[in-house]
Amino acid sequence: MIREWMHKRLRAWPYAWPRQWVRSLQWRVLLGMLIGLTLALVLAGFLLSGLFKDHATRQFQAELATHLEQLTARLAFDATGQPLMDPAGLSDPRWHKPFSGRYWQIDTRATDPAAPKPRPGVLRSRSLWDQVLQLPTDVVADGTVHTHTIPGPDGHPLLVLERSVRDPEQPAAIWTLIVAADARDMQHATEAFSGTLAASLGVLWMLLALAGVAQVWIGLAPLRALQTDVSAVSRGLRPRLGSHFPAEVQPLANDLNAALDAQANNLARARTQAGNLAHALKTPLAVLQQAADHALSTPAGPNGQALHALAQQVHDQVQTARRQVDWHLKRARAAAHAGSSTAACPLWPTLQSLVKVMGRVHADRHIRFELPDPPALPLNVEADEQDLQEMLGNLLDNACKWTHTCVAVRIEQGANTVTVGIQDDGPGIPAALQADMQARGARLDESAPGSGLGLAIVNELARLYGGQLQLSTGSSGGLHAALTLPKAQRSADAPAS
Amino acid sequence: MRILLVEDEPTLNAQLTTALETAGYVVDACNNGRTAWALGDLEAFDAVVLDLGLPEMDGLTVLKRWRAAGKSMPVLILTARDSWHEKVAGIDAGADDYLTKPFHTEELLARLRGLIRRASGHASPVLTCGPIELDTRSSRVTLDGQHIPLTSHEYKVLAYLMHHPNAVVSRTELTEHIYAQDFDRDSNTIEVFVGRLRKKLGLNCIETVRGLGYRLATPT
Repeated sequence: MIREWMHKRLRAWPYAWPRQWVRSLQWRVLLGMLIGLTLALVLAGFLLSGLFKDHATRQFQAELATHLEQLTARLAFDATGQPLMDPAGLSDPRWHKPFSGRYWQIDTRATDPAAPKPRPGVLRSRSLWDQVLQLPTDVVADGTVHTHTIPGPDGHPLLVLERSVRDPEQPAAIWTLIVAADARDMQHATEAFSGTLAASLGVLWMLLALAGVAQVWIGLAPLRALQTDVSAVSRGLRPRLGSHFPAEVQPLANDLNAALDAQANNLARARTQAGNLAHALKTPLAVLQQAADHALSTPAGPNGQALHALAQQVHDQVQTARRQVDWHLKRARAAAHAGSSTAACPLWPTLQSLVKVMGRVHADRHIRFELPDPPALPLNVEADEQDLQEMLGNLLDNACKWTHTCVAVRIEQGANTVTVGIQDDGPGIPAALQADMQARGARLDESAPGSGLGLAIVNELARLYGGQLQLSTGSSGGLHAALTLPKAQRSADAPAS
Repeated sequence: MRILLVEDEPTLNAQLTTALETAGYVVDACNNGRTAWALGDLEAFDAVVLDLGLPEMDGLTVLKRWRAAGKSMPVLILTARDSWHEKVAGIDAGADDYLTKPFHTEELLARLRGLIRRASGHASPVLTCGPIELDTRSSRVTLDGQHIPLTSHEYKVLAYLMHHPNAVVSRTELTEHIYAQDFDRDSNTIEVFVGRLRKKLGLNCIETVRGLGYRLATPT
């Protein structure tokens, strides 16, 4: 299982992981910073340790050169021209300790065939014991110093300095003075330094990385604030984005605000156009309707039958056309809303003005409206004002059409929702038909005025806002319609910041 | 009963004028908002049928101006816009009722009758004054249950008086409500109509208040 998962993960790696990182600005900035930081510190580490090594080597060579000069100064020749070295004159005790890591040696080299045979290790320091250093043969000009690295007596590399001297009395014989030291002494110093350097750089890396994380966190804070604001706007808690962002983010917020305004304008324009379309279509329909009504009400002439049949047809078609226009206009209005951000709308004034309209329109019916007490605090629902009017208007109108005497309105507040219950004491709808009616907005009774689409529109709008419409039979036998909408957290008349 | 009809679509305007006249109303028709506003401001109407989409000045503005100037005649709005938002705006601007296009002639007439009746404080569509009964729905007048045939002008005079049962109505007022604006008015004809009504309904049915006008005799 785990193996399979790892296999998958590994195979997906070059695509999946970086893509995830690339999507996060935080990760991108952090990753870039960490890569840069690591590269810089590793480079600095190499550079510093290289510099130190260089310095240490030069120091080491200088020390050896001093020893070489000392050795040269102590060199003497006997009568036969053989070199003499008094070991007591050399101060460093390491010359005398076997394999201590400090060695000297005197070789002889021939410049011409008459001279003695070249022989390495004519004289050697005590520390070399029975070993002889084998140097590559090269010609060292007088007064110059050559440096070599060769394997030492115990297998470790040796740093070797050599120079050549001649006995002025026997110039044919060239003596090579050799001073050697175990290169490990130098390496130890360099390694100790590199270790300390690496540890320091590691600590530095961690501190800088922490500072980087903090910087990214603080630097990206305005973006998080922007996101919070945008989500508040999209949930209708505030109308626009604020102006408290830093100079780099504010233009984005301003552009978003402009887009929000443009969207609101588009919505308004779409609504106006829908209204214009309604006007453009319905006035001719009204003309046709009037003509048909007139023809139907005038007594039949010679072609009376045919005329009446035509008038009846026009009349029926006008009704159908009107229903179609209403349905599509309302759908268009609902669709125009769908993508837009929601706004908070005060429930009570909307309800009041609609009840006033109902009172006027159904004045002859003397309907009694039972309204609850106005809510103590302004109660706002998450809906556009026109849509809320459309929902409540259709429900109230429907109740008024069917009721005998009284339409009762109730407001119930949930934790996050508001339910408006509208109940009439009319004939009601059989339970089996209620769900059907809610779904299709079918016109149950052709004799009642109105298009019968009201409930379907209410249902559709309520769903768009995340609410719902429930139909049931009320206590008095009439229809009880309960419209539930989300409660807005923001007060509707709060000034736009 | 004099009606101001404001509708910019010429065919519908003509159709409605015919329908309203057939129903016994005096109709002043006009087709733009500015003229409508001036007419409503200057002349006395018993009701207004007002389309909202009008050239020059839209219907809501016209209505708001009338109401601001203290004009209280009932106004029925004709609107093609079917949203509740428009209806609320119309009622808030001072309309008394609205009708959505397309509509039936019968519904328009019924709404109009209701508006005029309620504006003069009557609850029932049948107006009664002593033995005289006037059914606004069928334009029939009965005296003690007997149908009394009236000419169009006689009916208009009687209907106006019956809608204002306790008021003294001057001849000028009657003329204004019985003839359209462009009609050649002659207030003497009012006397003729009143005379004929007295003949048909009994001499005491309409009192003459000297120097002021006429009053419907209240049964004692």
